[in-house]
Amino acid sequence: MLLFSSVRFIMKGWVETQYIEPQFFFGYLGFEWIKPLQGNLMYIPFVLMAIAALFIMLGFFYRISTFVFFVCFTYIELIDKSNYLNHYYFLSLMSFLMMLVPAHRDFSIDAKLFPSIRRKETAAWHIGILKFQLAVVYIFAGLAKINADWLFEAQPLRTWLQAHHNIPYVGGILKAEITAYFFSWMGCLYDLFIVFFLLNKRTRPLAYLAVIFFHIVTWLLFPIGVFPWVMIFSTTIFFSAQFHQQLLNGLKRVFKWSENIPETIKNMPTPNPFVKYGIILYITFQILVPIRFLAYPGHLFWNEEGFRFSWRVMLMHKEGHATFYVTDKASGRTIEVNNTDYLTIRQEDQMMTQPDMILQFAKMLKKEYDGKTFSNKEQSITLHDPAVHAEVFVALNGRNSQLFIDKKHDLTALPYNLKHRDWIEPFEK
Amino acid sequence: MLKGLIGFVLILSFGLLFSCKDKKDKDADITDFNKGEMLENVSANIILPSLFKFETEVSDLKSSFVTFKSDPTNANLNEVKMHWKASYLTWQTLKIFDFGPIRNIGFKSATGTYPVDPAKVESNINSGAYNLAAASNLDAIGLNALDYLLYNSNALTEFQNNAAYADYTEEVIRKIYNETQAVVNGWTAYKAEFDASTGTSSTSAFSELVNEFNRDYELAKTAKIGIPIGKANLGLSNPEYVEARYSGISFELLVESIKALKATYNGKGLIKGSNGLGFSDYLLNLEKSNLDNTINDKFDVIQSNAEGFTMTLEEAINDPGMQNQLDELYLHLQQQVVNIKTDMTAAFGVLITYQDNDGD
Repeated sequence: MLLFSSVRFIMKGWVETQYIEPQFFFGYLGFEWIKPLQGNLMYIPFVLMAIAALFIMLGFFYRISTFVFFVCFTYIELIDKSNYLNHYYFLSLMSFLMMLVPAHRDFSIDAKLFPSIRRKETAAWHIGILKFQLAVVYIFAGLAKINADWLFEAQPLRTWLQAHHNIPYVGGILKAEITAYFFSWMGCLYDLFIVFFLLNKRTRPLAYLAVIFFHIVTWLLFPIGVFPWVMIFSTTIFFSAQFHQQLLNGLKRVFKWSENIPETIKNMPTPNPFVKYGIILYITFQILVPIRFLAYPGHLFWNEEGFRFSWRVMLMHKEGHATFYVTDKASGRTIEVNNTDYLTIRQEDQMMTQPDMILQFAKMLKKEYDGKTFSNKEQSITLHDPAVHAEVFVALNGRNSQLFIDKKHDLTALPYNLKHRDWIEPFEK
Repeated sequence: MLKGLIGFVLILSFGLLFSCKDKKDKDADITDFNKGEMLENVSANIILPSLFKFETEVSDLKSSFVTFKSDPTNANLNEVKMHWKASYLTWQTLKIFDFGPIRNIGFKSATGTYPVDPAKVESNINSGAYNLAAASNLDAIGLNALDYLLYNSNALTEFQNNAAYADYTEEVIRKIYNETQAVVNGWTAYKAEFDASTGTSSTSAFSELVNEFNRDYELAKTAKIGIPIGKANLGLSNPEYVEARYSGISFELLVESIKALKATYNGKGLIKGSNGLGFSDYLLNLEKSNLDNTINDKFDVIQSNAEGFTMTLEEAINDPGMQNQLDELYLHLQQQVVNIKTDMTAAFGVLITYQDNDGD
């Protein structure tokens, strides 16, 4: 799965368009020191990642491979937040957890090489933490859907579904308003409760069918990449140990691996006292991060304060238009910036609706223009310590566009931190 | 626990039924709309007719130049100029559709790049060694190179005395002519594919049409007016960036471009005057008639502002008394961007990038 994902990324040419082409990268607060490698060197982490993924699958030097995968993947994701996707974050966390979970103790090349690591059973927390992570994803995604736009306007699904009105036979159904409501409510209920149905032994088979159905429908209708498949495979963790044992035994027969584990080996891995605290810390972190938005005033979708890393998927259809003005303080003369001179189309598209990125871009523009000279046949003016203003309009979830950032703020004078940003125009219904 | 869940599901389902109820009655008066029919209308009534018209005009341009070359009189030059201008005006419609066969051969940049670099044109003519297909020659070919070659103050003398000058002009015209033929052939094959490509991916014909429509509008705003009046240069004007500077028809081209964009927006066939489905009908279908009115009104305001100039753009730029009028025109051009690029595109649910997206 991970192998497929890395190879797909390379094949689609996204390494080039997202990590080599851009001249400017939107780092994460506190992680701005993470920079891409020069030119084609940027392919190295991707290739390493693909190799690591292959090794993980074979169970070959599992600990090292998972570590390499986690580091490469997280490094790549931290370079530029315009590429942020919840499912990349999910993969990053999962690879972190895989680093800690010993999934190589049987039916792996490692177990062949080092027979002493073979185990029949594993500690409950190894499975538990993976289940917990999936539960967090689903339940927070479900909770995030309990909002007026999603439930009472069926937005953004209404916008996205009507766009499919030309699909033969079902196009008309997808366009109907009632379908958008149906999808919205079912999606919300699914996310909220699927974990409980998966946990319950009696409802599990039906629930898993629902998982497959739900994710395939989303995969067909929306451009969400590998996410549906990741979820379909990940949720098998909820199946019983016997189920996995049988599956594994089947595979073992195919690969002629001896089915029985010798009596001489230890059943349980050795426990580690630090593990308990580590788990508590991780769980606390996973629960607090998605609810941090409660600490900010204002409309969450509008301000996007506490929006990322919170499993808020498919919630917004946001389009924006941002015009940046660089002003010479001495003469009051102004330049209107062409954003695409500095950003790729994707970066511009992401930046225009997200205040933290608007601020980052403004600060970048100041550096870029400071000291530059502009002239025509008659005059010549050199910019010193220019001001940067932006006029931004944003349309959210089927509404008409509204003023998002007023031209009156000199963005270069504003702090870039996690405090509430009072320079965002208030959201009007 | 299971019972509790079922109860909760039931409550939510009631909520669902209830929330849908009050919306039902609105559905009655929505106009019918279908993206496939819209694409069919755009290709059959706008793109192909303007392509055929352009083909005829470029062909006339080519033959009138042959006549002029063998008999370089002022009257014959005027004939060439007339066909050049007709081609350039039709180009204002064609340049919107930079996808499919037009993009495949880089037709838009080869034909419509401006400003022309007169020094490069002259040095090509003098050296005699040039490759017009080279990317470095984009500002030495196309309709704007012809603007310089046909309209600069020495043009007639050059044509009469400098064979290399006439040969170069002929080469430039031939390149446009050949490429037009290629696009006409390409479109005959591509039309069916275009008409059927109604999907939501960024590479579907519908998405390309929306995105290129926006891109062309922004290009008109920035390149035709913004850059020459100095918007990217601290307000210091750059008359050398004026489109079709030597013939002085920049305002006519702007008006024509705005008309073409408005007609495409409304699905109005340029040639037959037919009125089929366009973006406008889609917005009406999505119950966005206010936005539709705003967009059409803005197109009208821009057009009347542009028509309000009784001089060339370069003259207006050089006249300090005209600055407010130019700024006002630019402001209207700027205000329309939000309407079409943000509001219209958001309503259609079109994606602008090729990447995965999880809707956040």
